[in-house]
Amino acid sequence: MPGKSKELVQGTLDMLILKTLALEPLHGYGIGLRIQQISRGVFTVNPGSLFPAFRRLERQGLIKADWRASENNRRAKYYALTEAGRKKLKYETREWQAQTRAIARILAASPGEL
Amino acid sequence: MPKLRSLVHGLCALFRKEESERELQDELHSYVEASAAEKVRAGMSEDEARRAARLELGSAETIKEEVRSVGWENWLETCGQDVRYALRTLRKSPGFTIIAVLTLALGIGANAALFSVVNTVLLQPLPFKNPSRLMMLYEGLPQVGSPKIPFSTPDFTMVRRSQKSFESVGAVQDKEFELSGQGEPDRVIGARVSASIFPMLGVAPVLGRFFRPEEDAPGQNVAVLSYGLWQRRYGGRPGIVGETIDLDRQAYTVIGVMPKHFVLPLPGPPANFLPAALWVPMAFTSAELQGWGLRYDLSILARLRRGVTLQQARSEGEALGTAIEAQYPQNILKDFYGARLVLPVFPWREEVTGPVRPLLLVLMVAVGLVLLIACANVATLLVSRAAARQHEIALRRALGATRSRLLRQLLTESLLLALLGGGLGLLLAFWGKNMLLALAPSEIPLPQNAGFSGGALLFVLGASCLTALLFGLAPAWHTAGAGLRQSLEEAGRSRATSRTHHGLQNAFVAIEFGLSLVLLIGAGLLIRSFGKLLNTDLGFQPDHVLAMEVPLPATAYPQASQIRNLYQRLAEEVPSLPGVKAAGMADDLPLLAAVFHTLEIEGRPQVGKPPAIAETWVLGNYFQTMRIPLVAGRLFTSQDVENSPPVVIISQGMAKEYWPGQDPIGKRLRHEENQPWMTVVGVVGDINDGPVNRPRQPHIYTPFLQLSDALTAENVIGVARSMNLAVRTQSDPASMSSEVVAQIHSLDPDVAVANITTMPRVISSSLAGPRFNASLLSLFAGFALFLSAIGIYGVLAFAVTQRRHEIGIRMALGAQPRHVLGFVLAWGTRLARTGAVFGIVAALALTRLMKGLLYGVAATDPITFAGVTLLLLGVALLASFIPARRATRVDPMIALRCE
Repeated sequence: MPGKSKELVQGTLDMLILKTLALEPLHGYGIGLRIQQISRGVFTVNPGSLFPAFRRLERQGLIKADWRASENNRRAKYYALTEAGRKKLKYETREWQAQTRAIARILAASPGEL
Repeated sequence: MPKLRSLVHGLCALFRKEESERELQDELHSYVEASAAEKVRAGMSEDEARRAARLELGSAETIKEEVRSVGWENWLETCGQDVRYALRTLRKSPGFTIIAVLTLALGIGANAALFSVVNTVLLQPLPFKNPSRLMMLYEGLPQVGSPKIPFSTPDFTMVRRSQKSFESVGAVQDKEFELSGQGEPDRVIGARVSASIFPMLGVAPVLGRFFRPEEDAPGQNVAVLSYGLWQRRYGGRPGIVGETIDLDRQAYTVIGVMPKHFVLPLPGPPANFLPAALWVPMAFTSAELQGWGLRYDLSILARLRRGVTLQQARSEGEALGTAIEAQYPQNILKDFYGARLVLPVFPWREEVTGPVRPLLLVLMVAVGLVLLIACANVATLLVSRAAARQHEIALRRALGATRSRLLRQLLTESLLLALLGGGLGLLLAFWGKNMLLALAPSEIPLPQNAGFSGGALLFVLGASCLTALLFGLAPAWHTAGAGLRQSLEEAGRSRATSRTHHGLQNAFVAIEFGLSLVLLIGAGLLIRSFGKLLNTDLGFQPDHVLAMEVPLPATAYPQASQIRNLYQRLAEEVPSLPGVKAAGMADDLPLLAAVFHTLEIEGRPQVGKPPAIAETWVLGNYFQTMRIPLVAGRLFTSQDVENSPPVVIISQGMAKEYWPGQDPIGKRLRHEENQPWMTVVGVVGDINDGPVNRPRQPHIYTPFLQLSDALTAENVIGVARSMNLAVRTQSDPASMSSEVVAQIHSLDPDVAVANITTMPRVISSSLAGPRFNASLLSLFAGFALFLSAIGIYGVLAFAVTQRRHEIGIRMALGAQPRHVLGFVLAWGTRLARTGAVFGIVAALALTRLMKGLLYGVAATDPITFAGVTLLLLGVALLASFIPARRATRVDPMIALRCE
């Protein structure tokens, strides 16, 4: 894996899980793996924070789970996005983009610029 | 919606815990498998992949714990664990638990009992419809020192006609009746009320109806009964409505019965405060309606109109005062002595609660202190326990329990103790409240409906939680926070642990002693006041005096001559009864507020208001019966009758005030301009004519037989028709009452003799208030003292056990048992001394609150302060003695070997 993997920015894990599930329903390990892959190994997700996050999102009704056969024919708990989760993702994405744009502007500011 | 979902999920997790756990386990398992499969695909061997996957997952238990802690149900569950654990530890030390729970139960119970009374008396609204709009109206001449005078009839009718601030106004007036017709004749306290009063209060009768407006007129003889009278005299028969009863030998039709807790008038205001057993229409007579400036004895109730503020009503009251004054006949107006008439308006509730507020507040402070002391006591116990549990706590911290987690657990234990104490306290309060009400003097209004409301329950719950925090927080904080390594090290050696613990314990015990001292000083002051009251020379000799009221209703005795005749015969015949030494009659008895009259003194220019002097009408050998000493001149004789020159006897205080340095005999005074002069023929000693704690007032005595016909036969005020017979007996006065009553009935069998009592009993009931205060506060103080003694005993006993080693060394080095004894005793008294200093300072600040309850004793009375402090130190010494003795028995060899 290239580069040194980083811990996630506080509070972004929920958003990343939602995004991952927006593509397709996945089981726990698959979600972790997908985040790692898409970020090209920048982020690794620790199972110790992954599972509480699942429980939390499930409680909030943003994701729902059911047991299915996995790709290698074992039983696994698959998580899928609910309608509320989809809305939440949309909202979070917009918020996040607004924030990063603002931060980028601040960081790019040159002296004399107001 | 999300809340609901969280709730449902949480509940599911709680009730299907195993399933949820299994699912989590399965999920983790499948995670590891998926991870391993991925690694195999990347080229690892099966075994290696599985191991790497496990490693990657980390501790499955930690993850599970994290997942579990997501939901609220987890919090609940750990609470459950804490409670179970606390119950187990409490069960393991039953001695500690019982003492702590009992201590708290007494503290909380006393508070709850008093709170339920305070709640009903001070905090609850009056039990009427929309009570905050109910007002009381007075007349007032503030410039001449009479800010609150009950209303006169003509003034009331004027107010009723022209006021705009109130939606209704009505008058209430006490009236005693002779109740006969069914059963024995009886004296009952009743009230005349305007027809508007009942609708104004908005309380419906349980039977029948109220007066109609047209019944509020003379000749309409209808009556409404109180629930109590209905039950007592008529056995609660519903058929009573429509029947006739005799009031003052006139037939009245019963038209209704009021509900059980209905009280009217309410106690508290200066006039018309006796709860009535029945009510009749006010029905002003034409004489009353014309009686300008005659009698001021109506209580006026009014309901504020919607949208009108108290302030607006008050300013209307001032204007109305001026308007009424303008209507007054000129010859009466001069009695105002230039003062402007105003009509003050007060919320009724203020009038009712005002007189008892200081007493209840003092008691509330006292009982609050008791609770604080109980808390301090339990806190010291907890600190001792914490020392014993230090090892356990240190171990749990070492195993990863956080400070907040331990704190929570220790506080759960305190809360459990407090709730147990609170529950038991509630039972105590229930019982204590009834005791309190039984003891309470009649000055405390509304006791009959001091119910145990939800408010009191809530109070107990709140008090329990608060006390748990109070006594649990410091020890728990201290215990849970002890440094890790340090505690583990210290836990091995019990000696060193005690230092910090002792600091806390010493502080608690010193505080306890200080608070107890405050209570003891308060109680001491009240006891000393009460002692002074008991030993007050009342100016007469109360022993062996029987007293009773002999009322003569106007219907049977319309003429003044009939009244004079009966009373005169009574005064002549009763002394000849065997066992009777002397007998006399008077319109009021000593200690029971005399009627005040204005006087004009010859040769003394009228400046401002004429003196208002207590006056008693006497007949027969009243002075000899009461043993009021004659100081100068003569007593009344059988020659002082209707047509002889008017005479008067004055008290010494009166003589000193109005004729200082002169001989008052032969001087003259009169009530009013057009009345005859009365010549002073004698001077008698001063007596306490009002409550014992009120200073003595100047007093005059006039012969009953010289009263005018009008005054004697007068019905409304009823004083002259209701003379008291006082009898000095040879033996126990109470045992003579039936002979005396028989003598009265031999003159008129229908007279309803009332208020049969003895003078010692009159004194005792006049002291009921101070006695109640003193005994209640003493009870609290005694309890506090007891708790403090236990506290100091507990601390020293614990310390002696902990310092056995040190004591052993001292003894091995040659300390004698008496040295050890002295050392432990000094320790105990040092704690008490520290507490005493703090207590005295606090008491100096707090006893000022009770100034109004004291008599003849300053709030900072040095004797009380010193005596009580000594008592407290003595108790501390005594409580230290047992542990000190135990310390002297320490065997140095065993003590040293123990370590």
